[in-house]
Amino acid sequence: MIISVNWLKQFVDIDMPIDELVTLIGERLVEVEGTEDLAEKYKDVVVAKIISAERVEGSDHLSLLWIDDSGVVQDVDRNEEGYVQVVCGAPNVRKDLLVAWLPPKCVVPETFGSDEPFVLSARPLMGHVSNGMIASARELDLYDEHDGILEIDKDAAAGSSFAELYDLNDTLIDIENKSLTHRPDAFGVIGFAREVAGIQGKRFETPEWLKDTGTTLGAHVEGFTAPRIYIEDAGLSKRFQMIVLDGVREDMASSVQMQTYLARSGVRPVNAMVDISNYLMLLTGQPTHMYDYDKLKAVAGDTFTVGVRLARQDETLTLLDGKEITMDASDIVITAGDTAIGLAGIMGGQSTATDATTKTVALEVATFDLYHMRSSQMRHGIFSEAVTRYTKGVPAELGRPVLNKTVGMVEEHFGARVVSETVDEYVGETTIEEIGIDSERVNALLGTQFSAEDIASLLDNVEFSVSFNADRKGRVTVPYWRNDIHIPEDIIEEVGRLSGFDSINATMPSRDFTAVHPTRFDDVRNILRQALVKSGLNEVLTYSFVHGDLLKRAGQRLENSYRITNSISPDLQYYRQSLTPSLLQHINPNIRLGYGQFGIFEFNKVHEKSSGLTDESVPLEKNSVALILADAKNTSRTAYYQAKYVLEYMLKAIGVTVQFLPLEGDIDEARASVFEPKRSARVATRDGVTIGVIGEYKASMSKTFKLPAFAAGFELSVDELVECAAAVPVHYSSVSRYPGMERDVCFKVPQEASYAQIIEAAESVLGDIALETSIAPLDIYQPEDGETKNITVRINAVSHEKTMTTEEMTAVVDAVISKVTEVTHGEVV
Amino acid sequence: MSMSVVEIESVKQELLLKVAVSDTPRDILKAPEIKALYAQIGSLDPSEKAAFGKQVNEVRIALEQAILDREEALEAVDVVPLDITAPWAANEKQPELLPVEFGSAHPISQEINVIVDIFTRMGFEAIESRQIDDDHHMFGALNFPKDHPARDGYDTFRTEEGFIPPAHTSTMQHRILKEGKAKLEQGGTIASISYGRVFRNEDVDATHEHTFYQCEGVFVSTDATLGQMLGTLRSFFESYYGQALRIKTQPGYFPFVEPGLEFAIEKPASIGGKPGDWLEMLGCGMIHPNVLKEAGIDPTKYQGFAFGGGVERLIMLKYGIEDLRHFESARLAFLRKFAL
Repeated sequence: MIISVNWLKQFVDIDMPIDELVTLIGERLVEVEGTEDLAEKYKDVVVAKIISAERVEGSDHLSLLWIDDSGVVQDVDRNEEGYVQVVCGAPNVRKDLLVAWLPPKCVVPETFGSDEPFVLSARPLMGHVSNGMIASARELDLYDEHDGILEIDKDAAAGSSFAELYDLNDTLIDIENKSLTHRPDAFGVIGFAREVAGIQGKRFETPEWLKDTGTTLGAHVEGFTAPRIYIEDAGLSKRFQMIVLDGVREDMASSVQMQTYLARSGVRPVNAMVDISNYLMLLTGQPTHMYDYDKLKAVAGDTFTVGVRLARQDETLTLLDGKEITMDASDIVITAGDTAIGLAGIMGGQSTATDATTKTVALEVATFDLYHMRSSQMRHGIFSEAVTRYTKGVPAELGRPVLNKTVGMVEEHFGARVVSETVDEYVGETTIEEIGIDSERVNALLGTQFSAEDIASLLDNVEFSVSFNADRKGRVTVPYWRNDIHIPEDIIEEVGRLSGFDSINATMPSRDFTAVHPTRFDDVRNILRQALVKSGLNEVLTYSFVHGDLLKRAGQRLENSYRITNSISPDLQYYRQSLTPSLLQHINPNIRLGYGQFGIFEFNKVHEKSSGLTDESVPLEKNSVALILADAKNTSRTAYYQAKYVLEYMLKAIGVTVQFLPLEGDIDEARASVFEPKRSARVATRDGVTIGVIGEYKASMSKTFKLPAFAAGFELSVDELVECAAAVPVHYSSVSRYPGMERDVCFKVPQEASYAQIIEAAESVLGDIALETSIAPLDIYQPEDGETKNITVRINAVSHEKTMTTEEMTAVVDAVISKVTEVTHGEVV
Repeated sequence: MSMSVVEIESVKQELLLKVAVSDTPRDILKAPEIKALYAQIGSLDPSEKAAFGKQVNEVRIALEQAILDREEALEAVDVVPLDITAPWAANEKQPELLPVEFGSAHPISQEINVIVDIFTRMGFEAIESRQIDDDHHMFGALNFPKDHPARDGYDTFRTEEGFIPPAHTSTMQHRILKEGKAKLEQGGTIASISYGRVFRNEDVDATHEHTFYQCEGVFVSTDATLGQMLGTLRSFFESYYGQALRIKTQPGYFPFVEPGLEFAIEKPASIGGKPGDWLEMLGCGMIHPNVLKEAGIDPTKYQGFAFGGGVERLIMLKYGIEDLRHFESARLAFLRKFAL
């Protein structure tokens, strides 16, 4: 919305520089997007009088003019009388006309501020020098009229400033509409001026006509009928008024002054009828609509009824702009009889539009439900100044003063007369709100020390009527235009805002010394993240939404993903069920950028329909961590073990040990689907609780995502890890004062024996010995034939009571050997 | 004379059997039986052509699927099983980690940790926000009536079921209030932040993302004031930037607060600020009585404030990052700039 400072000044004194005003508006009223200085744009435009106009010989439209500017423009050729020669092609050019002259060196206002401002000069046209030009409304950047030059319609001296004549030494303030969504009053110049008074600490006085909600104009005139008004439901329209005016004409223009106010507010002047309606809308925030009375009556049929009802499913309507729309039962329509004649509040229909033959109009002043306005506007994609205001909730009481003012202006401009009574269907009559106020409560919420008088004065400035009792409690009567104010907090906001929130002293809340700790979940996740960072890996964040094809390629069921109905693109249509597919997409691009050996990981939430809902009936979310290691060059190592090594390193940070089981049984289908079962494992706690999957990827994945031969990773449940970490007891054994012993043993075992079998067998023995022991792998060797393999381990033992003897160590090792060979059918070499 | 339906079916079964045992299943698409079927189409009476062609095509589709399945099985045949329990493969060495200096936490995780740390020290608990929620938590419980125009500003996505990928971390506010009610009634305060990923239906460019991060705070006590809100926020930013800061506000409209404000700080010198440069940081306000009521908290006894802002903006200002799109790009060139 664009607000003209000069227009504001007609209603409020502004005694500070514009930049300070704009800052104040920003701090206490609404976000300002920018300002435009109009004065600069019009500074060289001069009012001139045409002394003579003669057709240029050999031209069918050019006239040779001598104009009088009282000699104010410098450096321009003049004749003996001091007049200046200009060539003009406009059909309406004539002697004695007052016009806007753009002299040489003047920038054409239409091009002002553009990339290529057009600077005028003295140049010949068909053999005659034209000193600049006479401007049309379009060249003056007022509106799109180029058929003729602008005719100045005020008394003005030749040579006077065009800008001064029409108040164009103005600043325009561009307001961010979104920050005013709840303030229908501020969508009118008068309402905005009221606020500007309030934030300056000045008392505002609303014009009498706008406060007068009681006067009823009009009376029945023979030969004319006012329609009967019918509102289907007060939920659609609280109030609908009409009055009939005779003697209007479509071909009459409004005053240039009105046109300039419309134009600078971003509304295109059309004709006097439309302009008056728009002018009052800009002034008050109340849109109005004029119907061709005869057409309206004809469409209505026998009984002249105008109604407001919901549209019927698939009902059609041709709008003013010629477009036919199909409506549904959530649109509000205006009807004549039962026939839809307009999309209420948004756009009138073609069947009752005013045109060149119109002599009589029916003026509509109504309110419509803002929620319906908003949904219809969205659905039909129509964005107008009128509907913008209706979506803020125009107050019903505003209708009467605006109707009366419109009538007055139409009468004055056209010499038209009222030929009906005012018909007023007021089904949702609003009562004036009275709200209790307690100055202590105001101060308690804001953290201020206002007296009751301070509060009363701030509110009184913007025409709330306030009365306080001796106990500093009181009542506030809300003016009709503030239909956004309902509860004491709304009043408190007004007090804070009008006095300036920035004047409130910033303090700190008092609280006890209880320490707050991060959640266990955040703690564990941070430890895991740090472990992976220390492993030289890079954390990524990837989108939560993926393409359906990605799910399918990853072997996941499409119907198990929540689908976004209004997604930006198919790439972002489904909630992901696991993180790994997203990461797989980012391996090859990084390799192509020259990274050989790397790993990426992500902590994020995943969503599967099969997880069900929480007790709040929203989808259960799972927290996952996924990692992928890739090496574009080195294929001599087995990727699985690299991933396993990182996994064990990460889990060590939270004290969790796991076992690696075949990829079958209790596994999360969505997490497991990308992994090759023969080279992957189910990761489970010692108690057998599955926490995720680790492994290399299926050949089809490698192909799809162009993975290098070395690629492996894991995806685990962070929720389970947090549970596991919590269950880990704190464990510490003191450092022994005695030296320990170590012994290396090489087991030759059948090829199919697993490493875990050896370790578990050994640990089962070591666990029963009253020594501190450990066992670790040293070497794994497999000869060419592949029948057997040699696994070398190192056994450490230390006593906390004495120095161990070689015999004692040998006994320990022998016990281990005996158990391991028994379990594996192997031997020691 | 064309083949009957039965004959076509028997050709299909025969070929499927071949695919199931073939080492080069794709070659079967070139089998003479297939060629013969296609050859017949041309010689058929136009009335029969369409139906016959359709049957032949179905045979081909069935074969293609069988070939894909067989190919995947064949690929897996060559896969050598591993000892999944071993620390490394036979004849290989113990794996090693990558150099620690390559490692990096995502800048968003790092910054969230900084934010959470400051608020935790100030006495705020921290929880992560949900990534899928319902209309009630996203709007209804926050005093946004259905079809309220203020909903427009949030450009929300919806799922088929009507769930919402939250467009603000305020989606946790109702939960925080409900959960904190008991503490409040025992004489304590509610002081909590929620942080996390939010979603808006916006086209992506250098300054817009459909996926981004926010942090939200809630404080409720018997005597919380707007002045305390300003003090708390200033304190946070002063701690974050390690210097004294000037603050200013402007009225803002959010249905879940009353009064509602936009909060700005004077741009700190540490990120190149000069006096008079202001940075809009977040929206804030006193919690609307309806929001407290909805959570079962008596607004005549308790009052509070709430605030929320974006995380990426802080990071972009801190490092001078020019393009939002880097954050979700998963490009190592970007990520490794944040190595610890």
